[in-house]
Amino acid sequence: MAGLIPHRGALVLFGAAALFPLVVRDAFFLDSVVLILLWGALSAAWNVAGGYAGQVSIGHASFFGIGAYSSALMVTRFERNPWLGLLLGIALSLIAGLVIGFLSNRLKGPYFALSTIAFSQVLLIAVSRWRGFTAGAEGIPVPFRPGFATLGLSHVAWVYVALVVAILYYLIQVYLERSRLGLQLAGVREDEDAAEAVGVASRRLKVLAVASSAGLTSVCGSLWAQYIGFVDPAYVFSVDLSVRFALNAIIGGVGTALGPYVGSLLITTVETYLRAQFSGIRTGFTGIYLILYGAVLIVVVRFFPEGLVGLASRWWLRRPGRARAAGAPGPA
Amino acid sequence: MDPAARLGPAEVAAPSPPGPFIDTLAQLAVSTLLLGGIYALVAVGLTLIFGVMRVVNFAHGEYLMLGMYLAYWAFTALAVDPYLVLVVSLPVFFGIGLLSYVLVMKGVINASHNVQIFTTFGLSILLQNVALVAWSGDFRYVRPWELYVVMQGAGTTFNLSQVVAFLVSVALTVALFAFMKWTHTGRVMRATAQDRDAATLMGIDTDRVYRLTFAIGIAAVGAAGVLVAPLYAVYPTAGLQFVLLAYVVVVLGGLGDMVGAMVGSLIVAGVEVAGSYFLGAAWKEIFYFILFILVLIFRPAGLFGQRGAETLGA
Repeated sequence: MAGLIPHRGALVLFGAAALFPLVVRDAFFLDSVVLILLWGALSAAWNVAGGYAGQVSIGHASFFGIGAYSSALMVTRFERNPWLGLLLGIALSLIAGLVIGFLSNRLKGPYFALSTIAFSQVLLIAVSRWRGFTAGAEGIPVPFRPGFATLGLSHVAWVYVALVVAILYYLIQVYLERSRLGLQLAGVREDEDAAEAVGVASRRLKVLAVASSAGLTSVCGSLWAQYIGFVDPAYVFSVDLSVRFALNAIIGGVGTALGPYVGSLLITTVETYLRAQFSGIRTGFTGIYLILYGAVLIVVVRFFPEGLVGLASRWWLRRPGRARAAGAPGPA
Repeated sequence: MDPAARLGPAEVAAPSPPGPFIDTLAQLAVSTLLLGGIYALVAVGLTLIFGVMRVVNFAHGEYLMLGMYLAYWAFTALAVDPYLVLVVSLPVFFGIGLLSYVLVMKGVINASHNVQIFTTFGLSILLQNVALVAWSGDFRYVRPWELYVVMQGAGTTFNLSQVVAFLVSVALTVALFAFMKWTHTGRVMRATAQDRDAATLMGIDTDRVYRLTFAIGIAAVGAAGVLVAPLYAVYPTAGLQFVLLAYVVVVLGGLGDMVGAMVGSLIVAGVEVAGSYFLGAAWKEIFYFILFILVLIFRPAGLFGQRGAETLGA
């Protein structure tokens, strides 16, 4: 596995994103690229806990919301730098992630998923109700102040900010695939008792995975708040959003570094296209793509549990004319 | 959406009449009982599916939402009283349950928890948005005459809709309980719940049991949807709050434990009613979620359950 060969998919994807703003100046398309990268990075963050450590959360919107509100409130209520809010968001999400990670040591499968949903609902209600501080259900408009320090950037600059985050998260995932830590996590995911028997500190690893996943999610939440310029609790803490993080990763390939980005590319593109096509006709019509998601999700988890990346890598290794010496394809 | 806007104007916890504290307590107790009865019907279907099939059905609330829409359209288009719709809803939702099982659930019954979670989530997204496309996101209300019949007794106030919903709900729950306890099919279902491998070895067709279980569970929640339609606003994501609440109940009562589910319903209803009264309706949902998280941390097998059940034999 020499050099960059295993990363050719990522090179193509991120390379295209890097070159895109040089060619296209249209705000609509640039916006799509930013969102593809951000949603991809968010799914990558989810993947750290859900894919690599096997702690499937459906409450990751909690951490997204914590990040979004930290940076929005830091700017509006404390008149401080949004980057400070981003750091605060990481700190708060790490604490929340430690709590959720602790839960993951007591609860398995559906019980863990339920506890994560309950956590995001508690935050949703608390933020909606605490009007004096969070402005409640109306949400907070985040003012646009030009400059990198205040994160008031052009669309082109946002493409590169999102790209840096996306690449960073990609590399974190690659590390989890290759490193000793990653192998230990895989051991915990596949068989916790067996992993413990060979001396893996499974409890600590799970907490670590969930907490770092929470921190990474929070960073994207902070950036998203500054990019979109508006946060409201019903969106940032919604179950839909939590499902979305998982969905991209599942369709692209759970536990693969490229999967979340492939999933995001596909889903964000289809969604943007369908929204643009149908939004004018009837409001309810936007539900069509969600019907499609639901159906795709059911079909993918049942028939292609390894996702698009898994399918592609299997096809790549089995293609005619290739020696089968490479060993078994890797996706978990 | 603002959580407070989710509920219609017909709040189940009626405002307390001015009077001595004992009257207030009586009102809270009656509200708890009425609300708990309805929650029980939502939860028993879920705990049945959870207990027998070991499947977490995240789409459970969507069937409730479909039941609400059935009541709404029968009332609006055909002027049929929601409580008459029940007669139709039970077979209809039994059929919908069968169909859902054959098309979706059957394929994942032996799959990992994660596959099951996302399959039922996919189903949930699908059904919600079918409702959104078909009937739009508007809040709709069912207002039968029963809702306006206010009843008073022993210093408490409630309306006829609540009482009917409560009585029907309790009757259905008890009927289901009796079915599980005293019929042969019920015994077969309980045997499958205890040990699916042993049940198979005893000659039980577990596929048939799962099909029946899912259909009965969906029929129960469909009926619950029809019953709550006059009490809450009807809209495509109306099921979400109920499914989360039903999970609180099911976890409190213990996995697959139907009596536990009834007790859990009363506890959740009590927490909600008392929370709304003493601290304001806006915060009421937060109480049972916090209760839920606390129970998950300290007694994950439920208040009366055996330790270790939360791992689901994993």
